[in-house]
Amino acid sequence: MTKSALAPENVGTQFIASVSQFIACGVGTRFITSVCKNGTTVYFSDLGSIALILALGFALYTVVIAVLGAVRAQPQLVISAKRSLLVVTFFLLLASAALVVSFLTHDFGVNYVAQTSSRAMPWYFTTAAFYGGQQGSLLYWALILSLFSAIFVLTSRRTPVALVPYVIATLMGIETFFLIVLTSVSNPFVRSAVAPPDGAGLNPLLMDPGMLIHPPMLLMGYVSFSLPFAFVVAAMITGKLNNEWLRAIRRWTLAAWTIQTTGLILGAWWAYHVLGWGGYWSWDPVENAALLPWLTATAFLHSTMVQERRGMLKVWNLFLPIATFALSIFGTFEVRSGVISSVHSFAYSNIGAYFLTFLAIVIAFSSALFLFRLPKVRPDQEFDSILSREGIFLLNNLLLTGIAFATLWGTLFPLISAFMRGQTMTVGAPFYDNVMGPLLVVLILAMGIGPLLAWRRTSLTALWRNLSVPIVIAALCAVILPLLGVIDIAANIGFTVCAFTAVAMLYELWRGMRVRHAHGEAYAIALVMLFKRYRQRYGGYVVHLGLVLLVVGMIGSHYFQLQRDAVLNQGQDTQLAGYRLTYLGNIDTKEPDKETITAQLQIWHDGQLQGYIYPGRVIYRNYGNQPASLISITTFGATDLYIYLENWSGLSQADIHVFVNPLVPFVWYGALLMIIGGVFCWWPERRRVVLPHPQGRDKSGPYISRNKLPEYIESKA
Amino acid sequence: MQPALTVSIEKSVAARPRKRFPLSFLLAGIAILGAVLYLVYANTQANAVYYMTVPELKHCTTCTTQSVRVAGYVQAGSIKRDDRTQSISFVIEDSHQTLAVIYSGVVPDIFRAGVQVVVEGHYIGKGPFQAQTLLAKCPSKFQSASLK
Repeated sequence: MTKSALAPENVGTQFIASVSQFIACGVGTRFITSVCKNGTTVYFSDLGSIALILALGFALYTVVIAVLGAVRAQPQLVISAKRSLLVVTFFLLLASAALVVSFLTHDFGVNYVAQTSSRAMPWYFTTAAFYGGQQGSLLYWALILSLFSAIFVLTSRRTPVALVPYVIATLMGIETFFLIVLTSVSNPFVRSAVAPPDGAGLNPLLMDPGMLIHPPMLLMGYVSFSLPFAFVVAAMITGKLNNEWLRAIRRWTLAAWTIQTTGLILGAWWAYHVLGWGGYWSWDPVENAALLPWLTATAFLHSTMVQERRGMLKVWNLFLPIATFALSIFGTFEVRSGVISSVHSFAYSNIGAYFLTFLAIVIAFSSALFLFRLPKVRPDQEFDSILSREGIFLLNNLLLTGIAFATLWGTLFPLISAFMRGQTMTVGAPFYDNVMGPLLVVLILAMGIGPLLAWRRTSLTALWRNLSVPIVIAALCAVILPLLGVIDIAANIGFTVCAFTAVAMLYELWRGMRVRHAHGEAYAIALVMLFKRYRQRYGGYVVHLGLVLLVVGMIGSHYFQLQRDAVLNQGQDTQLAGYRLTYLGNIDTKEPDKETITAQLQIWHDGQLQGYIYPGRVIYRNYGNQPASLISITTFGATDLYIYLENWSGLSQADIHVFVNPLVPFVWYGALLMIIGGVFCWWPERRRVVLPHPQGRDKSGPYISRNKLPEYIESKA
Repeated sequence: MQPALTVSIEKSVAARPRKRFPLSFLLAGIAILGAVLYLVYANTQANAVYYMTVPELKHCTTCTTQSVRVAGYVQAGSIKRDDRTQSISFVIEDSHQTLAVIYSGVVPDIFRAGVQVVVEGHYIGKGPFQAQTLLAKCPSKFQSASLK
């Protein structure tokens, strides 16, 4: 297909022509293509190209008509915008389907398909190659954004009417940007004149089940921050920052947060299980880029509670979603433009410039709106005491944004130093460890104290009553740990603070159960009822407990990891931390597309044979010079025995690297708890209590949201 | 956009006189921000590493005492493994200048001739570069590495 045929005025006729060609010729001839009697060939990729252009047209139309509908107060126009948004979604689904079909039918005439897949790949990796390259991942981004937008439109009945058109216009504005990139510089459907017989295939490092789920999850996380941003833009334009708005934006942020958490954890899991360096997080710029929006979104989820309960921090709550969205766009820009050197190398292209421009537009546009709205936003109430729930939330926000700032600083330091001193410098993992360590400890401490503080103010005696048990247990923990071999002071402080917070939260849960038990409920039922009644609060506790567990795992692997190298001949053994490994030999398996070499080792512990372990390498036919690792991990209690095959010779010598990683399994358990807690908080709640007053606000007392009412009544009783 | 600009919920509040921001909050905020800035500043001072090209390294005068990162492409045929000392040696090339490197430790999967690597360590002005870490540019999750 030539460029001129894609000119907008030709698109309609072209589309109709190709559709009629499909119908006329039947898709049957060679499954992918249909060759007509007159000799022209139409491919699924052509259908994809056309669908993208039509989606762009409808997205532009949606933006214009939604804004017009809002300004002229004409509901019909807004309805039209909603429908045309759904049309955008339809065309993006069509384009994505066209790309998937091109992949599954091995249409190597499409450059993108030839670059990222090969005939030897199993169907699931072939499908996953959809988002395995730049063009496809952008299409995936656009698709997910349109799907989220469609979900918003279909559930918009609960959203305040005035906000809806502006949310739609913002979402489709973002969509327009992606569609412009997709139809110009980064089109996944570009064809070459001659189709190669086979594709290049996917890098073997990416041929891992993690590849099927980690990149789409992380990209989806980035995309989902568009929704809170759209809500903020709508609120700034209309001036409607009420509690309905807050509830809607909070739910979308919770969803985005949970998705991003899952994406981050899957990335860590993938690095740990595939890359073979014994760790799961290396503070690489690409990882940091994904962490930054997560940090600001976490801060936002906390500060919204202050606005919901006390009507404060309104300006701050407008700022955080903007920052979060800007950081997700920045992340994409950073990894695509190559301005910062990372161990992840990307195919650099001029699309970095597009993203920088888009980022500049986003920042300029939202700053202007922000300054316009700022003078009109006033807090309902003032801060009373620092020893209060809102005080601790403020502390939490300062810490989280502080951590985000430090991460951004470290990531951008090569640029900053080049600019300030004319010398490029970098900071590595020690910088992040030393900065984040103390901040994380204070954050965990605040997490333990926070739930024990009341809104407005708390007396010290009341606080002490709730804190004494956790403090005593934490002190015991600090004393016992050195006896168990934890001599490092920093590790001891870390574990002690984690113990304090975990006990404080469990103690708080226990007191809740005891109160209900006193009213005649069995303990188990009391626990279930607490979770059912106060979803937000107890879901939050689950997330917090998960984070504590994750931090315990982080401390364990950071301070207590042991490793050694060993070159072993058949029958020899090596020892590390009480584990003895006896090497038996190598196993060589040849398959059509790959060759697998695995070393066979016995694990002995306490004089007992614990099992066998098989670290290995896979050599793919297409990537002969890059043998992918098969890391072998065996978990004993809370300790991972992690073995990496560095080198081998023949069938009787292996060069292995052994890591003993204590407490790493806690990282995964903790992460799982965080995700469960996030989903639990997000899960739709049936509203049972209907207040006589529609706003639920009485002049003398604090505002009580509907789902907090039973809790409030109980606290008064 | 005029009709939508009603700021109904704010009206009643705006009339009330603004109280001063409590001092305790101000102090706590300053303490936290100060701590963050101090941590960032001190650790930047302590951990910043020069990132140099091979030609720049040759003219570096402070690199004997300071850790430095150097990027380059691994030269074909230069990789030698020494099983006795558990180390590997290779030559990296950048802008037609070469640098010999000695490294012992975990070698990344994708390390091979032709790949771009970043080594971090000390350089005493002559002899091979003593690398403490070796990073190979890893293929992105989003792009096949065989494309150049």
